[in-house]
Amino acid sequence: MNNLKKIVLAEDNSTLSLLLKFRLEKEGYQLFIAEDGKKAIELIEENNPDLILSDIMMPFISGLEVISHVRNKLKVTTPIIVFSAAGQEEMVLKAFNLGANDFMGKPFSPNELVIRIKRLIP
Amino acid sequence: MIDFQFLLDYYNNLPSLIKLVWGLVGLLIIVIIDFLLYLKYLRSHLRDEEILSKKLFADYETNLINFLYAGNNEIKVSNEQQKIIDKMVFCVEDKFKRGIFISVLSKLKNEISGEMAIDINNLFLKTGLINYSLKKLNSRKWDEIASGIKELTQFEITNVYDDVSKLENHEKQEVRNEVQLYYVNLFQFKGLEFLNNLKSPISEWNQIQLLEILQKFDDQEITDISPWLKSENDSVVLFALKLAKIYNQFQSIDILLDLVSHKTKEIRVKSIEVLSYFQVKEAKSIIKSNFSERSIEEQISFFKMLLDVADSDDENFILENTNHHNFELKLIAFTLLKKLNSKKLQSIIQASQNIENEKIFNYLEVN
Repeated sequence: MNNLKKIVLAEDNSTLSLLLKFRLEKEGYQLFIAEDGKKAIELIEENNPDLILSDIMMPFISGLEVISHVRNKLKVTTPIIVFSAAGQEEMVLKAFNLGANDFMGKPFSPNELVIRIKRLIP
Repeated sequence: MIDFQFLLDYYNNLPSLIKLVWGLVGLLIIVIIDFLLYLKYLRSHLRDEEILSKKLFADYETNLINFLYAGNNEIKVSNEQQKIIDKMVFCVEDKFKRGIFISVLSKLKNEISGEMAIDINNLFLKTGLINYSLKKLNSRKWDEIASGIKELTQFEITNVYDDVSKLENHEKQEVRNEVQLYYVNLFQFKGLEFLNNLKSPISEWNQIQLLEILQKFDDQEITDISPWLKSENDSVVLFALKLAKIYNQFQSIDILLDLVSHKTKEIRVKSIEVLSYFQVKEAKSIIKSNFSERSIEEQISFFKMLLDVADSDDENFILENTNHHNFELKLIAFTLLKKLNSKKLQSIIQASQNIENEKIFNYLEVN
């Protein structure tokens, strides 16, 4: 019986994904990594995660489309944290309108991310 | 053997010109075969290099993550971290491996902040990568120099200011751009002091980049921009005008008033725009005194300014310009007239026989 809380991480930067995987697994979460939005949707549908972390700009399907898919097609309320780069303020607003719960601007501190995750899935 | 002899005899009996052509054909075939073999070698070499590059990238990524999580709060560098440093010191001696390791570090450095970002900077120092970046500053190739400065900026190496500042007036704009980004990224507003001695122009793109970097900092206290507004370098003045507007430099209004008479048209136009933003009424009399001698861009800019600061004293001046040859200026003049004295505008509309003005009047009726 696996009781670990599941997180899907959609991020096209492999180094950042690896860093967060190490950190979040150490904190007791089970990580599923997607390098693009298409893979992220597959992982979300397969694993029904407790939290989704998604970059906004990704190949094939953007983070905004991932949020829209989760909220409008799957109709689930799984907390979503989006990552955005500088100058993507409008995208962040769109993400919130689509149903994102929180956002972190890049570059961000992994420690701060852990605090935000713990607040959303205690 | 008989066939071969027959071919040899046939060749010997050919005219010299045909012999030469056959010789060239043979040579060409040899060259093409060599070329194909070389392409085959090149393709397999590039594929091998790509495979190796991916393998090394993944390996260095893991090393980097292990380094970042192997930290011990009690001592500066843990044993495990030291082992990784030693391994990487050896690896970065090779140019190919060094390039891959730097790209791994850069890829993560762009995405994270806090203690881990500082640890990445330390790894850049401890693996000796800083020495390779500094060596690039003395290269004869401008792209090598620019890349060296970029690395020093990215990994926040502040103690090489003197080495970087020697390249402040480099002949290549790309190098100068990187020097300027180094200053501002690492020394914030204090880094703008390079503007005091800058002889070469700052590109428009770099001005935008510098402003964007400055806006990221928590401390938004700007140093005195007056010397830059008085600079002999036009691009420095134009950049300072942008700073004056963004950072509300009201204390520079007297210099801005002088700039409306600057020798460069672009500076005159931009200074009118900044004065307009600050709604400085004193600028009106200065510009009006030689309005007709000014360029059309300055005249339009001034009329846009009047949209915010015009009062009844300006009515006659505006009225004079309702017959201006420039359509945009004429439109603004009528808009101002509507705002200041709508009765006067109505009497002009009734008396008007000008078809072009009809379009303006129709527009003003609904706006």
